[in-house]
Amino acid sequence: MVSSKSEEGLIYNIKLSSVGPARVTGQDVVYEPSNMDLAMKLHYLRGIYYFDSQAFQDITIYNIKEPMFLWFNYYYMTNGRFRRAESGRPYIKCNDCGARFIEAQCDKTLEEWLEMKDGTLEKLLVSNQVLGPELAFSPPILIQHTKFKCGGIALGLSWAHVLGDIFSATEFWNVLGKVVGGYNPPRPINLAHSLTKANSTQTLQKIVEDPLSIKRVDPVEDHWIAKNSCKMETFSIHVSATKLGHLQSRTDIQGPFESVCAVIWQSISRIRDGPGPQVVTICKKGEEKKDGLVGNTQVIGVVKVDYSIREANPSELARLIKHEIIDERLKIDEAIEKERGVSDVVIYGANLTFVSLEGADLYGFDWMGHKPMNVNYLIDGVGEAGTVLVLPAGPNDTEGRIVTMILPEDEIMKLKFELNKEWSIA
Amino acid sequence: MPQRSPQFSSSAKLKYVKLGYQYLVNHFLTCLLVPTIAMILVQAIQLGPNEISNFWNSLQFDLIKILCSSFFITFVSILFFMSRPRGVYLIDYACYKPPISCRVPFSTFMEHSRIILSSEPKSVEFQMRILERSGLGEETCLPPAIHYIPPEPNMESARKEAEMVIFSAMDSLFKKTGVKPKDIDILIVNCSLFSPTPSLSAMVINKYKMRGNIKSFNLSGMGCSAGLISIDLARDLLEVHPKSIAVVVSTEIITPNYYRGKDRSMLLPNCLFRMGGAAILLSNRWWADQWRAKYKLLHVVRTHKGADDKSYRCVFELEDSEGKTGISLSKDLMAIAGEALKSNITTIGPLVLPPSEQLLFLFSSIGRKVFNLKLKPYIPDFKQAFEHFCIHAGGRAVIDELQKKLQLSAEHVEASRMTLHQFGNTSSSSLWYELSYTEAKGRMKKGDRVWQIAFGSGFKCNSAVWKCNKTIKTPSDGPWSDCIHKYPVYIPEVVKL
Repeated sequence: MVSSKSEEGLIYNIKLSSVGPARVTGQDVVYEPSNMDLAMKLHYLRGIYYFDSQAFQDITIYNIKEPMFLWFNYYYMTNGRFRRAESGRPYIKCNDCGARFIEAQCDKTLEEWLEMKDGTLEKLLVSNQVLGPELAFSPPILIQHTKFKCGGIALGLSWAHVLGDIFSATEFWNVLGKVVGGYNPPRPINLAHSLTKANSTQTLQKIVEDPLSIKRVDPVEDHWIAKNSCKMETFSIHVSATKLGHLQSRTDIQGPFESVCAVIWQSISRIRDGPGPQVVTICKKGEEKKDGLVGNTQVIGVVKVDYSIREANPSELARLIKHEIIDERLKIDEAIEKERGVSDVVIYGANLTFVSLEGADLYGFDWMGHKPMNVNYLIDGVGEAGTVLVLPAGPNDTEGRIVTMILPEDEIMKLKFELNKEWSIA
Repeated sequence: MPQRSPQFSSSAKLKYVKLGYQYLVNHFLTCLLVPTIAMILVQAIQLGPNEISNFWNSLQFDLIKILCSSFFITFVSILFFMSRPRGVYLIDYACYKPPISCRVPFSTFMEHSRIILSSEPKSVEFQMRILERSGLGEETCLPPAIHYIPPEPNMESARKEAEMVIFSAMDSLFKKTGVKPKDIDILIVNCSLFSPTPSLSAMVINKYKMRGNIKSFNLSGMGCSAGLISIDLARDLLEVHPKSIAVVVSTEIITPNYYRGKDRSMLLPNCLFRMGGAAILLSNRWWADQWRAKYKLLHVVRTHKGADDKSYRCVFELEDSEGKTGISLSKDLMAIAGEALKSNITTIGPLVLPPSEQLLFLFSSIGRKVFNLKLKPYIPDFKQAFEHFCIHAGGRAVIDELQKKLQLSAEHVEASRMTLHQFGNTSSSSLWYELSYTEAKGRMKKGDRVWQIAFGSGFKCNSAVWKCNKTIKTPSDGPWSDCIHKYPVYIPEVVKL
């Protein structure tokens, strides 16, 4: 497994191993992703947790790996490998194969690293592997441990979106902190040994039209990443609490997420030709309690307008985002079900997508009482229309928001300019 | 059914004849003495009490004669007891239980193999087939250095593994027996493939601050049967040095021996060998330890087939065509093992078999050799000599072969098969895991005899015979304490991966 990280020179001494469940999960245990899960299979979450040098002082790699074995007893499905049923529908064979564990070192101190403020460099701290081309040997979870010169540590979590949404992923990660603190997770119950979804013979009565929030891509077979015709780039901005206040007052809406979205929506429409994106996808935390330990249960909805966005009133846009989301989850479920789960679609980036991480307990993780000083999340596998992530900048609301934009590379400079000119936030 | 009953009654008759024969021959002396004493008693009664008292007086006992005779008898008895070899007792032993973080499921092993040997799909396929048929389970363990892709075997990690395994087993042994490190008189460590300087025995002495006049030995290169060689050495030393206790540490350090090449005859050990170790406490202080010792050592029989070239070369460490070191196993391994076993049985048979079996074997041999009768070679029934069998869990094939040759039932080889399933091939320490299994199942009763058989490179076949000194309660600790409830499990011929 040769990664381009070593070419950078910044990250070196890379060692790979695996960590898996301590206990045998069982014979022939399977886990079947739902239709919503399969709709998200071409996306990947990359989370980076930064810790100062005191958090992991005198802690060896062995000390870090050991609690993970207990953690994975509980989240056994994340340690399996994908197979396809006879119908072609993917499922996870829970064979305890494990998560990949990557150890790396960096010659810079944590401070120097954070000062570099280069979005692309952050990708060196977390694995950018995707599922496939050999599904049966691709780990859905990869964890990277990078040690900085000062003793600071970055833990990078690579999470295949097919397992669950960001709320599942952050909850999963926070449980590790609890296990380290001595919590013994209960034995998993209701282990399935036979496939039900894959073998269902239910047929849908009517042909339904595709929901607006999905976009079909060329067949990817077993290599679960969509090809875009242009290169996508990531850049992040920090919007302080005061700036947020200004934005909110200009858009007349109490809601940091909605204000930010409205601002960016309009700015993007201004840099693109035509009336601008008239359909946007909004993703945020769902209210219902999810069934299993992990899953894609976030709200995925669209906001549609039929007028030009360029000239629209940002307050109106913000209002639409807050109150007029058309929930498309049921439609997505049906679209996937009608093809028995083998469809290849993207959701993030099918339209311009805004993802709110409000309600995700990003700072709920701690290693023996030491909390991360910074947490960041990125998304891989985003479609060409682009995606905007809005996450908390720190454990408190007073620290503002981090807005991460994943867009075609030629749009980035123009957007930065526009945001600065109009809203002075870039 | 009229057809079956004559057959049934004839086989029942045969069974009774066999039982009668066995009882007669095995208790020959008793059968001889009882009628003789009965005859004497009858004669004495017939003579009458007066005749007996006259007879007694004629012997002319007086004080001097009585004193001299008793002195003479006492002197002879003391001489007799002093010259008998001291018993060697096994007080207790401890087996190493690897941590959960060392666990290697099949799927992980195969996935790592595919990545490491990505240019050799045939070798990967071969490893998968071996693993499917190996009889190993999903909870065997490899040391931390081997979990890396690719594995990182260096001297430092090998030493770490040795410390982890040996110190853990010894701490457990000291806790169980209450013995202090400074009381140890003899220390023997055997580890075939890792032999650093200073030796592993020196490492133990350093860690536990043992006495300056300790007699330490380090046996390396002697293969999977080295555990019993160490026991034999300990016994010899305990016979020469009075009032001593000995610790024997049997282990195999996996880290430096991971084969990194693609030669198929050398990939097998990677698939089968796993982490394990055992520490055993032996003593000759019968006055102090007899009451608490678990076992008494009855016999150790060592057979070496090294004089035969084929046997010598059948398990051979060498460098492959790319210069990578590994252990090559020859295709004749099973046949050679069978031959070695035959030699060993021939020596151990007379020591342990009841006279009934020995007589049958003698008659059968005479019949075949002297009278040239076409008789099948008689295989003595070792089930009459032993209650428990510990066959080195070298691999499924070894256990199958021995079960067939010695005509053992599934229950007799259960300890070996289940040890292979739970711990893999832990080399010289596997016999101790098997013994521990039998104890954990509550099957070890006072007076039970145990036969430990191990095979190893050379080619050697070594046996040890133990007698259980006191009924052993199911231990609450030990390597099986958290998993014995699952066993025995059914192990299919081929596990589909």
